[in-house]
Amino acid sequence: MTALARSEWLKIRTVRSWWAYLAVILLLSAIAVAGEIGSAEAANRSEHGFQLGLVDTVGLAALLAIILGITIVTAEFRHGTITPAFLVAPRRERVIAAKAVVGAAVALGFALLALLVVVAIGVPWLELVGAEVRLTDGEILTRVAQTLLSAVLWALMGVAIGAVVQSQVAALVGTLLWIFLGEALIVGVLGLVDADGASAYLPFRALDAADGTGGEGLHSYWPGVAVSLGWIALLGALGTERARRRDIT
Amino acid sequence: MIEVEELSKRFGKTQAVAGLSFRVEPGTITGFLGPNGAGKSTTLRSVLGLVHPDAGHATVLGVPYRELDRPLHRVGAVLEASEVHPGRSGRNHLRVQAAAAGVLRSRVEEVLALVELSAAAKRRVKGYSLGMRQRLGLATALLGDPEVLVLDEPANGLDPAGIRWLRDLLRSLAAEGRTILVSSHVLAEVAQTVDRVVIIHRGKLVQQATIAEVIASAQGSTRIRSPQAERLRELLAAAGAAVTATGDGALISDAPPERVGELSAANGVVLHELTIERATLEEVFLELTGGETTE
Repeated sequence: MTALARSEWLKIRTVRSWWAYLAVILLLSAIAVAGEIGSAEAANRSEHGFQLGLVDTVGLAALLAIILGITIVTAEFRHGTITPAFLVAPRRERVIAAKAVVGAAVALGFALLALLVVVAIGVPWLELVGAEVRLTDGEILTRVAQTLLSAVLWALMGVAIGAVVQSQVAALVGTLLWIFLGEALIVGVLGLVDADGASAYLPFRALDAADGTGGEGLHSYWPGVAVSLGWIALLGALGTERARRRDIT
Repeated sequence: MIEVEELSKRFGKTQAVAGLSFRVEPGTITGFLGPNGAGKSTTLRSVLGLVHPDAGHATVLGVPYRELDRPLHRVGAVLEASEVHPGRSGRNHLRVQAAAAGVLRSRVEEVLALVELSAAAKRRVKGYSLGMRQRLGLATALLGDPEVLVLDEPANGLDPAGIRWLRDLLRSLAAEGRTILVSSHVLAEVAQTVDRVVIIHRGKLVQQATIAEVIASAQGSTRIRSPQAERLRELLAAAGAAVTATGDGALISDAPPERVGELSAANGVVLHELTIERATLEEVFLELTGGETTE
């Protein structure tokens, strides 16, 4: 298993998209933090809520995490490299498991990198403008932990979706459409039939709840994590079974 | 060593493999032959646990591939040359596979040198020629120093020099005692390399024999030239032999030369030429496989 995980890590690092992931995180995090601080009223910058919002910019790592999760599974089918992968590990569930482990670890790295950008830009800036830095407050540290775990959940969801769908384009486009259109539509329909409560159980509504920022009609934190894990387990099991049965031709 | 028993696999409407059985003996190079679409790749992928057969089974080294411990150290496979991430360098492709198989980094450099790819190892596979990709595939198969090699059309995309190089490599690998199963749709490509052949057509076994047996099994024909060709033709036809005239005035008959000679002597017909025409391997192959391909 360690050998497979090392191999998966090498796979991620040895293609150019790795550098694109890192560049996008650095760039978007920097823009987000600068935007938050630059656009805030000077008086608000010392506030707890504002600084919590700074930490929340790390949430963009989640989107990159799910893209990574989907890609590390589907790219193998797309390029045919699933053949050598299954030749070296004919018990295919071990390949999917290694991808889940490494995908989760790399997603955690993405979130930490984004956090680093927040601290590296936010702290000196806030100090420069004479605002009080509260990033080590208990509640803010809790939010940091929640954001890191959120990136891990999104990566795992990506691996599970990738294993179920297997086609790279369909998985990426389908997931983005589902997140931005599909669920909103279902939430609307559920509202029409007076079943609003059910919408919190949708996979990405659950993931939303599991980033700790809260929101209307969402589960609270721990139930959100639990429902997310449920979806990941369900899709992961389906995807693993599909990968096991598939004829690799 | 490799055993395929009553293997069947259908994809949609296509019966790719239909009740195929054959054995590959240890320490031999076996050619796995058939026209395109005969079911070679499906069979090889079933042997390697990549395709789930509908019926029958395949074993390598006595067990299904899936049950092999550290499979890359027992069986090396070269399937399609395209099964590489185009953005990864050749060396990194091998490192990925070596890491998964628990093979040392130094072995990566060894196999790169063995397939003469060291100079291009840093380049991304996107820029490789088909021949270079085939060699990268061979390097991948050799990472674990396996005792069994399964190669699907490894000569595809190789130029004549490359085919010669491949032949020499396969010979030296076989000389080390390895068992090799190599598929091809061109008999001539492997005829000089293999000890035995397994010929399939439409998913079924056509022949399993040594190369010498295949040639011997081919029916020869007799070529005859005579100033009295018309007379001889009538005589042969009367004797029940098939005769056809060729464009250059010679006759081709399925009667053995002894019979033709006796007939002409008995009837006072002069002969200018009486030769046996052995069918070439390629003709035998075409005859065995009905001369058709799916292309």
